[in-house]
Amino acid sequence: MSRNPLRPPGAQGEIHFLAACIRCGKCSQVCPYRSIIVASLLDGLSMMGTPYLRAREIPCYLCMKCPAVCPSGALDRKLRRMQDVRMGAAIIDKKTCLPWQGTLCRSCYENCPVFNEAIVMDNQLRPVVDQKKCVGCGICENVCPVDPAAIAVNAKADK
Amino acid sequence: MRIWLLRRLTQLSTIAMLIAIPMLNKKGINALMGSLYSLAIGPIWITDPLSGLQVMLTTLSADSTLMVSMAIPIVFALVFGRVFCGWMCPQNALSELFDFLSGKIGVKRPFRLPLNPMPRYAVLAVMLTLTVILGFPVANLISAPGIISVQISDYFMEGAVGVELGLIGVIVIFEFFIIRRGWCNYICPAGGFLGIFRIAKTMSLTYRKETDQCIKCGQCIKACQLGLNPMGAMIYPLCHNCGDCITACRRAAGKENPLSFRF
Repeated sequence: MSRNPLRPPGAQGEIHFLAACIRCGKCSQVCPYRSIIVASLLDGLSMMGTPYLRAREIPCYLCMKCPAVCPSGALDRKLRRMQDVRMGAAIIDKKTCLPWQGTLCRSCYENCPVFNEAIVMDNQLRPVVDQKKCVGCGICENVCPVDPAAIAVNAKADK
Repeated sequence: MRIWLLRRLTQLSTIAMLIAIPMLNKKGINALMGSLYSLAIGPIWITDPLSGLQVMLTTLSADSTLMVSMAIPIVFALVFGRVFCGWMCPQNALSELFDFLSGKIGVKRPFRLPLNPMPRYAVLAVMLTLTVILGFPVANLISAPGIISVQISDYFMEGAVGVELGLIGVIVIFEFFIIRRGWCNYICPAGGFLGIFRIAKTMSLTYRKETDQCIKCGQCIKACQLGLNPMGAMIYPLCHNCGDCITACRRAAGKENPLSFRF
């Protein structure tokens, strides 16, 4: 688990999240895709019991069920629209990304839930991430055919 | 219904509920959710007051939904006393079971501490101070009921448990070999915090000296796993209203026994 793990939709920065999360596990229980996993003591004292995602394995499909069940406000309960989610933003590694290396691939572009906005294809048919519109769900990271993924979500940093 | 039977049923249903929650949620049924840190029974949300207080301290804010959900267990404690500990807490159920077994085997423990709620308050104060300094709910790291409930959920949701479940083993060994019911009496921050919510009207064990029914048999003292003297004056806030002394008294002194719960 990284020091700045991907948190469920509606989380503010990492410091606020660690302070506000009550470690009850409801977001993980309500997640229909089993995307949200619960950290253990081995992940660190402050991490223990907190929810996080491993997008390469199971990304967030933005069903928006988890923010609404958070009892402590660690996840913003008022968050409804998936376009408003900001879990982080995807970054493309141009050295390994197939289209940037000259091979045709549209996996991330086709699968992005904020279609044709968060990821657009440039005039040479290479994917480009709009950092302002990317919700950080990690679906692109999940579907990327390169191993390790050439596109990965950087979890939101503290403001 | 007899107090002991009602209490055993409550303890078992709490554990059954903790197992049912992940199993139902795995099937997509979210009517019951959460753990003993925070529970959702349909639209009713119930939050452990100590967890809620820690979040209020770390975020320096008062989320209204959080405060309403904390009020339910606080009101419950003000009316019935620390029945969460005595009647619902899975750690207490486990501790009671092992205390029963240790009595059967005849374990001799090297230490006996005087009965005093201060150590528990000291642990609570240290935990809350660390929470403010470190910026996350530190007391939750040693909240036995919270850990048990989250780990039951993890086991049924993900098929694995975290190493923090080891704390429960440590508590059991500590209480079995070192200090009888030492975790509940002297350490547990969640129980310590719930004990603060006591008023004159709170349901309490009452010993009526004036009745000539008391045969001074001492069965009530023997029945109390926490080591309290139900005929004495100062059993709160350590007493968690389990009622085992009342049952023992009834068996020894009959129906008009001198021990009962009063508001």
